[in-house]
Amino acid sequence: MLQIKNLKKHFEDYLATDDISFEAKEGEFVTLLGPSGCGKTTLLKMIGGFHKPDSGEIWINNERVDHLRPENRSTAMCFQSYALFPHLSVSHNICFGLAQKKLAANLQKDYLAEALLQVGLVPHKDKLPSQLSGGQQQRVALARAMVMRPDVILFDEPLSNLDAKLRESVRFEIKSLQKKHKLTTVYVTHDQAEALAMSDKIIVLNAGRIEQEGSPESIYYRPKNRFVADFIGAANIHKAKVTKLEQAHHYQVSCELGDLIVESEEPPVSDYVYICWRPESAYRAQGEVENTFNIKVENLAFLGNVTDLFGRTLAMNDGESVRIQLDKLLHTQVGKSESFVIPKNAIRFLEEVDE
Amino acid sequence: MKLWLLLLPGLGSIVFLMGSALYTIMIQSVGLHTELGASLDYWSDTLSDPILFRSIEYSLRTSVLGSLGAVILAYPIAMWLRKPIPGKTAIIGLLRAPMFVPGLVAAFLLINVISFHGILNESLLALGVIDKPLRITNDKFGWSVVMLQVWKNTPFALILLSSSINSIRSDVLDASADLGASAWANFSQVVFPLTIPALQAALILIFIGALGDFAFASIAGSRNVYSLSVLMHYTATAYYEWEKAAVIGLVIMVLSGLSAILITLMTRPFANRTRPVISASFLERSHEK
Ligand SMILES: Nc1ncnc2c1ncn2[C@@H]1O[C@H](COP(=O)(O)OP(=O)(O)OP(=O)(O)O)[C@@H](O)[C@H]1O
Ligand SMILES: [Mg+2]
Repeated sequence: MLQIKNLKKHFEDYLATDDISFEAKEGEFVTLLGPSGCGKTTLLKMIGGFHKPDSGEIWINNERVDHLRPENRSTAMCFQSYALFPHLSVSHNICFGLAQKKLAANLQKDYLAEALLQVGLVPHKDKLPSQLSGGQQQRVALARAMVMRPDVILFDEPLSNLDAKLRESVRFEIKSLQKKHKLTTVYVTHDQAEALAMSDKIIVLNAGRIEQEGSPESIYYRPKNRFVADFIGAANIHKAKVTKLEQAHHYQVSCELGDLIVESEEPPVSDYVYICWRPESAYRAQGEVENTFNIKVENLAFLGNVTDLFGRTLAMNDGESVRIQLDKLLHTQVGKSESFVIPKNAIRFLEEVDE
Repeated sequence: MKLWLLLLPGLGSIVFLMGSALYTIMIQSVGLHTELGASLDYWSDTLSDPILFRSIEYSLRTSVLGSLGAVILAYPIAMWLRKPIPGKTAIIGLLRAPMFVPGLVAAFLLINVISFHGILNESLLALGVIDKPLRITNDKFGWSVVMLQVWKNTPFALILLSSSINSIRSDVLDASADLGASAWANFSQVVFPLTIPALQAALILIFIGALGDFAFASIAGSRNVYSLSVLMHYTATAYYEWEKAAVIGLVIMVLSGLSAILITLMTRPFANRTRPVISASFLERSHEK
């Protein structure tokens, strides 16, 4: 189990990690998600022991470790750059950590054999890293960290240098090995699809701070603010005036799209808030249904499984851009006006508009 | 064909200069073009002279210790210089200073420091550590020459090793610590193997320079044993035995070549580890399990 308590770190006058606290339970897969430069690597390096935090605490299995050197922490890191030892063969790379632990030679061999079979590197076992492809190098890095059976395993964007196909297969490999060995994992990425697909818990970071923490579903469907809504997937965001309705959990909002009904268990934080909805929540209107709105089609992109439609609201001033994703082919043309419906439970209240 | 023509001006002049010098010295060593005529006597005489062997021993001893001393001293400094430290440029500049002091001057400076009435003896006397000055100049073993070699060559070793150590990615060093390597394991299993090419270059160049050393040995060297270069010099200029001097010159060259090969062969096995850890049959067995 990993616990991070009020961690802070600055470089010169730049605050890279600002008071971060979170927890990863035994065997839990926690993803740190955020844009480039938000401090993900810095946070990971503090957990691994390569950076010293300015303040705060790091606990692994109820032992405080932030004063320990990297070699004395039971963490293993998969580096963004792989960081393989260029002078060691695949086998010696994988055994490096085991040799440091002074594990008996026959056990080392067993671990090595298992790892080589798991990551499919048997034919390459005696090659040097420079003789491997990027994906193979990535797998060596993975195996090298996995054989350590660390209390916490750390991944720094392990898939960022791989092509799309390979990324998917290594993703499954990581996930299945993690599950099999019940490894407590902290995984860093800026790819939201990766985060949603793999994680038990996602922590969205921005400028050194936690924006939101929760399961992939809650992060996706119940973003707390515009940053999270916009960063995870695509979102349509509008300013809205909210009025409470008689019916429980029902509200009326007036926004760019007109007057809409919202059903939300969570009340809005104020009368004047941002609201958001996902492009795939809307569907084509047929007949008079509540929450219908009209837009003018500006751009259509057929993506195979979905059709991506960009439109503009019909308000007096220029209107606002709206994005809709439909899973069916849409017979329309650019410039035409179309009606769509958003289900009342697909609209989400975000933070207050401060003006 | 065309490539050869392009290489000709550069390569040709090197081969011509080296070749003609080598030819001359070889001709001389067998006494060709002398009144007495060609003979292998110069070779047999020189090679059976115990003075030559004492010189070889002395020169090898001082250059082995000198070159090893220089790289052993340079490694920790290079490791330390990897870290961000204030005033790094100034420190590096200071460390390189010995390179700019000519060998002869350095030898005189050292002699002044450690001579019978030098600063070292006077200070130790003043402090009451000793009650008679120590005789440590021109010692028989060659320690003062070794000291000078180390002092003079450490900056050079430092330049080669530093650039090699600095080119190791910090992620790789982080990874080794992360996998549980102590500072020593990190050095011996990661840094050292990755710097073998630079180490080879440093050892070979320093060793060959030290083997042919004249300046240090003539000022600070032993009074009873000559270094090879000093022996060659005296043989030619004091005894006018140019043929024997040529033989000694060739001995120096052969020793240099041999030691370059030896250094390369001895350090090469440390550079890579690709020896199979497990065999294919072992893998098959564990696959069945
Ligand atoms: N050693 C350092 N010295 C000074 N500033 C640093 C250092 N390391 C990181 N930073 C700064 O801290 C901030 C966070 O860096 P970090 O590497 O943690 O970003 P990241 O979230 O991992 O980004 P990416 O997705 O691009 O890898 C950046 O603005 C970076 O410039
Ligand atoms: Mg990073």
